[in-house]
Amino acid sequence: MRQYDVVVIGAGNGGLGAAAKVLTAGKTCLVCEKHNIPGGFATSFVRGRFEFEASLHEFNGIGTPEAPGSTRKLYDELGVSDRIEWIQLKDAYRLISKEEGYDFTMPFGLDAFAAKCAELCPDGEKIAREFFSICGQIRQAMNYISETHGRPDPKVMAEKYPDYLACGSYSVNEAFDALGYPQIMRDNFNAYWCYLGANGDELSFLHYANMVYSYYSGGACIPKSRSHEISLAFEERIHELGGDIWFNSEVTNILTDKEGHVSGIRLRDGTEVATRHVIADCSPNVVYGRLMDKSAVPERALKLTNFRKLAGKGFTVFLGLSKSREELGITDHNYFIYDTCDNVKQYENMKSFDGTAAQATVCLNSADPDCSPKGTAILYMTTLFTEDVWKDVEEKDYFRTKNEIARRMIARFEEATGVCIHDCIEELAIASPVTYARYTGHPKGTIYGYEGQYYDGLMPRIQMVEEDHFVPGLRIGGGFGERLLGYPSSYKSGVNEASRTLRDIEKEGC
Amino acid sequence: MIFKKSDIPGEDIKRFMGMPAERRKRIDETPADPIPETYAVNELAKTLHPGYIKAEVKKKTEVAPDRFTISFRSCSENGRFPFFRAGQYVTVSSNVGGSFATRPYSITSSPFEALGGLLEITVHKSGFFSDFLADSFKEGDIVFVGEPSGDFYHDDLRDRGHVLAIAGGTGVTPFISMMKAVREGSEDFRITVLYGVKFRKEMLFDPSVFESERIKIIPVLSDEYVEGYAHGFIGPDLIKPHVTEETNIFVCGPEALYEYASEALNELKIDSSRIRSEHNVCRDLPGEPVFYKLKVHMRDTVYDIDSRSTETLLVAMERAGIKAPSKCRSGICGFCHSRVISGEYLLAPDRTDSRRLADIKFEYIHPCCTFPLSDMEIDVPPLDLG
Repeated sequence: MRQYDVVVIGAGNGGLGAAAKVLTAGKTCLVCEKHNIPGGFATSFVRGRFEFEASLHEFNGIGTPEAPGSTRKLYDELGVSDRIEWIQLKDAYRLISKEEGYDFTMPFGLDAFAAKCAELCPDGEKIAREFFSICGQIRQAMNYISETHGRPDPKVMAEKYPDYLACGSYSVNEAFDALGYPQIMRDNFNAYWCYLGANGDELSFLHYANMVYSYYSGGACIPKSRSHEISLAFEERIHELGGDIWFNSEVTNILTDKEGHVSGIRLRDGTEVATRHVIADCSPNVVYGRLMDKSAVPERALKLTNFRKLAGKGFTVFLGLSKSREELGITDHNYFIYDTCDNVKQYENMKSFDGTAAQATVCLNSADPDCSPKGTAILYMTTLFTEDVWKDVEEKDYFRTKNEIARRMIARFEEATGVCIHDCIEELAIASPVTYARYTGHPKGTIYGYEGQYYDGLMPRIQMVEEDHFVPGLRIGGGFGERLLGYPSSYKSGVNEASRTLRDIEKEGC
Repeated sequence: MIFKKSDIPGEDIKRFMGMPAERRKRIDETPADPIPETYAVNELAKTLHPGYIKAEVKKKTEVAPDRFTISFRSCSENGRFPFFRAGQYVTVSSNVGGSFATRPYSITSSPFEALGGLLEITVHKSGFFSDFLADSFKEGDIVFVGEPSGDFYHDDLRDRGHVLAIAGGTGVTPFISMMKAVREGSEDFRITVLYGVKFRKEMLFDPSVFESERIKIIPVLSDEYVEGYAHGFIGPDLIKPHVTEETNIFVCGPEALYEYASEALNELKIDSSRIRSEHNVCRDLPGEPVFYKLKVHMRDTVYDIDSRSTETLLVAMERAGIKAPSKCRSGICGFCHSRVISGEYLLAPDRTDSRRLADIKFEYIHPCCTFPLSDMEIDVPPLDLG
């Protein structure tokens, strides 16, 4: 029988990161992917004369070769950085919110961002600088914790990172209440909430602040050839390191031996591969609900999985327009269009079909004028459903339902920006939670893993990694992992699980 | 220190230190119910996109000389075919001689019929696989039908309320499904079909079956004069009266039709963004073949086979009995996406490159429309029939 040191289930960001890491350490590794291309969400697709980015709006943590961000450093370590061409984005976002009447654009860079805040509110610049200092401290503290492999010196923590410790247990709203910032500043700092998809009453402030600081300070970029470029860069590197990737190869079973240790995997067509170590880049719901024999799943794993809250179910409208960005009058790359900046209320609105959706919308041509043929533009708008409402949609109503939601999102974009797009749609694709479920197998079409509530945020997850590990030889990483969702997090999570697997191999001797 | 929430000194930090305990407690309090194996949304995804559906040939009817309508009955668990958009195609796969072959065919039945377990295609006997379907295929035979695919359908967000269909020969098949869909109410638009055939007897249906307020059919005969029928090719004169501000144009037929129609549409100054064309499958190249070696990796199996400069890499694999994935066979859908390890190759000269930018950068190909220019080594995913 075929045998590998490690088998990775799923060639999503976490799986690709994990495989590259395992192979860099000289172990043999097979990646099994159910789809026919790598990447999971990190992919693209062609319709007519347009190539659409499937998921990425903007990538934080890349930075520049001179000032590399954390993900670029990780890519350097794995040997993929030089294979990807990046385009830096100029502005952070344009925030348009109906209830408060907001419509302003924020730049990247701490100084520029703070200067712009001065225009929004009398003490804006001072408040922004204070907020940055808290965020910056959070970031440094996390780096320190990471450097000490999760065993920081309490004295150092208390002396150098008091704000980190003080704010670490609170939700975003609790933390902003304590900080007492004026509403407009708070709303501005909250603009990125839809990237994490949990509402401010629940979302961990630590995690949120860490993410926004990465955007403010390091900016963001996109790969020139869509995120498919990143995925293929990883695939190339994995082959170069002697790893194997099998596509159209869905894993249906994780096999265990008498001692309960992982002993192999089985594919849908019955093919078995022997291994003592599996890294699953998929949800624990799938691992414990379907891939493992029920008798091999410990009770605590069931409790843990039931405890987690599946995050937003994705919905994206992809538009290939037969007019240029200039003709249309689209000025920005990245739009956050909300009904209200009160994201508890907005989150509530997104629970049903009738509610209005928040949308994060990208015009790719603003960052890369050559991304589509002359005289055309690419626009994609993403929202979330915060409840599992698609479960009640009947097959015969499916296309109609998708179009209805898309129609409303297009109309909302037009209303918010004054740009007319509905009459020049040349190509159209709509991804619903059903689409995401189809391509990734994620439960209910969730695109954001588990929600990062303050009690299930980054820190408690990291601190409890070993406690959350149940099956010897099985590690679970990716967007459902301890780093929470998102591009930088999912790669990092995969790499972290690979490191743990390498330690397991060393300890067990094989 | 800037951040302070609690007035009790040290309370904020104490709370932070207690987070794991808090999380642990919440986990303790959660019931150890079994995790569901699947979810409604994931099941709907599988229903709509089952991959391949095992189906039984129910009936074969010669609707015109050498033109056969074949209907299938679904053998899937739910007894149905997926709901689809009228105008989409399916693939039919079967063992023919020593090959496992797959071909795409436009669906000629309606979306609601699919929910009733019925799916129909119409085939013109004109090649290796269609000959097989027409001659050897019989009732009760079991085949794999690939899920409905393709973008050749009317979409009310993208398209206007009227479709002008320009069809040549068997290219009318997607429009048959569209007309049935409009008739049954699963699609909502008006359609005018300019239906070009050589002779009246080649027509796949009697227009009066469909004619209604929303459906209009204008047969155009190129090689015979029949009273009451238009004669000639589908040119500007025939097209113009049916184009209004509300019209989108859909074209499907042989290569010659595309050339002729696109000239006509150009002349009428109809913006290309309002025209959709269905893609034809990639054919062999003319001329004498040069023979090359082709090494194919499929998971950890390696096949050493021959290839010819005049046939696609996909055909070379199929001829050698390799079960390689294929769907549209026209370079569009990406289902056959494969990695080049070494060798030179050529994209079919009659089509534009539909690969992703990164595919080109990292040398991935669609074997269905790629011809070898040297010995080659490629990595191809296996066909997963489910």
